[in-house]
Amino acid sequence: MTISRYFFFFFTLFCVLYFPLSLGEACVMKPEEINLPDTIDGWKLERVPKRIEKTNIFDYMNGAGELYLSYHFDHLAVYEYKNKSGNDIVVELYTMKDPQDAFGLLSMDWGGEPVNLGEPEKRKFIKAIIPQNRALYGKGLLRVWSDNLYIRIMAFKDMPGVKEVILRLGEIITAGRGHPSPPEMLHSVKISTDSPWTLRKDRTAYFRSYLVLNSLFYISHENILNLDLSTEAVIVTYERELESREKQTARLVVIKYPDQERAVTALDSFFKAYLPDQKSKVMPDRERESQGFFHIEDGWMGFRLSGRGLALVFECPDKQSAQEMIEQALLDSLSN
Amino acid sequence: MKKEKITVTRRDFIRGSVGATLGFTLLGPEWLKGAVSSDSRSSVVIVRDKNAMDSALNVDKQVLENMLEQTLLHVTGKKNRNEAWLELVSPQDIIGLVPTPLMNPTHDELIDVIKESLVSAGIPAENIRNAQGRSVDLEPITALISLPGLKAHWLTGIGTVIKNYILYSGAPRNYHHQNSTKLGEIWNLPQVKGKTKLVLVDALHPVCDKGPQVDPRYRWPYNGLIAGMDPVAVEAVCLKIIMAKREELRGEPWPLSPPPICVEAADKIYKLGNSDLNTIDIETIGWAEDLLV
Repeated sequence: MTISRYFFFFFTLFCVLYFPLSLGEACVMKPEEINLPDTIDGWKLERVPKRIEKTNIFDYMNGAGELYLSYHFDHLAVYEYKNKSGNDIVVELYTMKDPQDAFGLLSMDWGGEPVNLGEPEKRKFIKAIIPQNRALYGKGLLRVWSDNLYIRIMAFKDMPGVKEVILRLGEIITAGRGHPSPPEMLHSVKISTDSPWTLRKDRTAYFRSYLVLNSLFYISHENILNLDLSTEAVIVTYERELESREKQTARLVVIKYPDQERAVTALDSFFKAYLPDQKSKVMPDRERESQGFFHIEDGWMGFRLSGRGLALVFECPDKQSAQEMIEQALLDSLSN
Repeated sequence: MKKEKITVTRRDFIRGSVGATLGFTLLGPEWLKGAVSSDSRSSVVIVRDKNAMDSALNVDKQVLENMLEQTLLHVTGKKNRNEAWLELVSPQDIIGLVPTPLMNPTHDELIDVIKESLVSAGIPAENIRNAQGRSVDLEPITALISLPGLKAHWLTGIGTVIKNYILYSGAPRNYHHQNSTKLGEIWNLPQVKGKTKLVLVDALHPVCDKGPQVDPRYRWPYNGLIAGMDPVAVEAVCLKIIMAKREELRGEPWPLSPPPICVEAADKIYKLGNSDLNTIDIETIGWAEDLLV
């Protein structure tokens, strides 16, 4: 083969590979994405998959985009399958920068039927404050945490056979991918066996944003805890049954800031907005651990600040419960 | 003198002092000063038919037409559909239909039967436009018919009536954060204010959890239309239905989070209507099972 033939061959190859990808870069897939089958049980992959970036996520999903930007979002790939009747299955692959962010997205809702997409048994979480699931299915929607991917596969009409197709797609996507452990942050909450309070594993969530916190447990429409992508947080719900069979719930929020200064500033901001009447009574001590408990409208709340860790408890029926609950936060574990 | 910034928190919500706190914090623009609070009662009509959708969730257009007619008659008190429409709009109006485009989109069948019904009432077809979106020119539109899908929302608690005009703000993201309480101000924009003649919520297949994206586990066939001329009252009734469904699904209290403060703000601050259910007369027609109000 002469040099000109080499040139012609590589030039043609370049044109074939490059130009289709360069047209409308924001909505055309790049070649490194997961290959999905063209057809599966009568469902046919439609068109070119879409690629959604931070810059156009709101065009794709309006305000829902805020959720993904609340974690370390990289990009989203959207595939669409259709069957002969025109029904759709949409496959959304959210590539996050870290596995813990993909985990966080799943942790917002542990409801649904747990399904196994081929995860090895030995990977199950030991002594965790979360359920033992990485994939959940319900009424035509599969949600999966797989390494740094958060996956949503949804059939717009839940019909016979569609669950099998969705699970098969889930298996294809997750095959060969890693099974990292849940975020270390989850170890900042003790598992207590001698308390009348039961930890509701299905209510534990990992997050970085006040928007996500508010969607789980409303504190304020403003970011009074100074949460952002540099922070990590976990919310835990405790429950106990009274003699009347009525159930009481209380919440523990543990936050890790990048450094102690940020934690102190955040607590100060929280006091100003949430406990303006208590601000002068308890000043965060930059040198030592600070702690306080207050009786407010929905029961007792408390805080503990230690290093770069901040724990807050809400809705406790009495001071003792608030104290007991704040003890569940292992703030020392956040020092590294 | 500059006002001190006061932050709305969970404590305000529990105390029931959100309205007072918002009153301190939301600085109304000049055109808001003319807004008048309604001290009269509001009416909301719920029309349901268990056959509006089949088991595969296909909409029966004939049933929907009948539901629309019932809705119009009970909202306006008129004797027939054409009279009812002409009570709300006139053939000279340029009518903007405002459906919900995403999350729980308004059924196309509902938009179609409304268009057909308007035309049969003597409204020229060319006078009926889709008015959803930030690029819509609202100037020539003289009457808006808001057609949101009933749904909870992860940033505003409920994302049905008040939020349906968010794209008119030109900057919807500004209302996603702390300013979601201010959604009501969009209804008072000069190009929007006073133009809404009917709020008709598509409650055929609502979503009772916040999302942010649709999760089929939280949808159910309510098979209803919810309508009225007071947007806040319609929203308040929608809210009641969503909250009742959430408790039913989980069998335990499952409050909306964040709380839908924008509804109270729409009443107390922006004077768009009544948010207190004690001031709302709810009329129900048709299928009564699992009404949730």
